This record gives sequence, C-alpha cells and structure tokens, in this order.
Amino acid sequence: MFATIHVMASSRLPAAALTLKQFIQRQKVLSLYRNMMRTIRQVPDEGDRKYLRDWARDEFKRNKNSTNQDAIRMMITQANMHHDELQSSLALANVKK
Amino acid sequence: MASRVLAQCVRQLPRSSVRLSSGNIAVRTAAVPRTRWTEQTRISSSVGVFCRQYGDLPPLTIESIKERVMYVLKLYDKINPEKLATSSHFLKDLGLDSLDQVEIIMAMEDEFGFEIPDVEAEKLMSPQDIVQYIADKKDVYE
Repeated sequence: MFATIHVMASSRLPAAALTLKQFIQRQKVLSLYRNMMRTIRQVPDEGDRKYLRDWARDEFKRNKNSTNQDAIRMMITQANMHHDELQSSLALANVKK
Repeated sequence: MASRVLAQCVRQLPRSSVRLSSGNIAVRTAAVPRTRWTEQTRISSSVGVFCRQYGDLPPLTIESIKERVMYVLKLYDKINPEKLATSSHFLKDLGLDSLDQVEIIMAMEDEFGFEIPDVEAEKLMSPQDIVQYIADKKDVYE
C-alpha cells in the first residue's frame, strides 16, 4: 500500500534498513490492510465483498511505492476513514434487520 | 424391516461405545433409529444409555493440514502452482509482497475457521510455517 519501505523490506537487498518511524508506519499500514479485509468479510453479499476486496487491494498496491512520509500519513488517515465508514454502514445494515 | 434395522443398531451400539471410538460411529448408528421412530415406537431405553452423541469435524492430522494449506495456496491467483513447495518462502521465492502475505493468512483463517492474531501472522512466511502454526494451535502432534 503506502510504504516504499514496503518494497525495500521485501526486496533481496541486504539490510535496506528502515528507520524506526518507517518501520512503525509500515506495520500500521499492514494492520490497516488486515483490519480492512476483516471488515470486508462481514459484508453480506459475495459480489460486493469481491468488489470491495479488489478495490482495497488496488488502492493499497497503487500507493505501495510512495516515499513521502506525510503523503503516507494522509493516506493512512483516508484509509481509516474508509474503514470507519464501512463499519458504520455494516452496523446500520444489521440494525435494519 | 424397520424393526430389523433397529435391532441391528441396538446390537451395534454397545460394541461401539465400548471401543473408545470417536462419536462418529455412535452418531451414525444412533441416527438410524431416529429416522425410524415414527414407525416403531417401542424402543428400548438402553439405546440412550449406551451412546454419547456429539457432532464434530474429522480429526486433523499434519498431512490433512498440509493438503488443505497447499490447496488454498494453489487457488490463490498470484502464486504459480509449479513453483509452490512446502518450504517456499512467500516473499523471497514466490515473489509476493507483504500485502499478499496478509491476504494468504486471511485465506487460511477462513479455511480453518479461527483467527490468527497480527503478531503471529506476520511471522508466517512459508507453507511449512503455516502448517506448523496450525498444528500447534490445534494440538495436532505426530
């Protein structure tokens, strides 16, 4: 998703060392991705679920290579907003039943 | 004919409960009388006493875990099934990235029906790791 850090860490280059901040940011991004996926799992319709999963995957992968820490932070915030939105829609949908 | 089947089942039940077998056999033999109850009301009460019924999935073995893990991995579109081996590292050998690894672990959660916490999920980097982890969690040892 957001960190280049991401690409650096998964490459075979020896010790492309991440600074502590970068490392933490990368972990945040990965847990964000995981939480997003978990929330998407709760969507009732299979077609919607697939659409949302693909959308999330694309969003994350598209920005995978950015290096600017501020941009990354913005994107993390945006992702959190999307996640909260999804969760509240799910909650509303369940209440209706 | 119903009475003949019932008699067979009652005869089988003490045998199966003496064997310390899993509930499966008892369930199967006990299930038959249940369908016949509408026709045959006179059923010895000993049927209930002998068998303990419970529903459960078949027991996991390391082999079956490995098969299921490999099956799920082969279904994943980013993995080349020819290159896949139990010791292949997701990031280094199969050329996936950490996002894919998250997805793979989530697919495993779906397959085996229990959640894997983040801390432990990020350490699982090969099919062998996953099999080992699940075996640890599910108390499967051979």
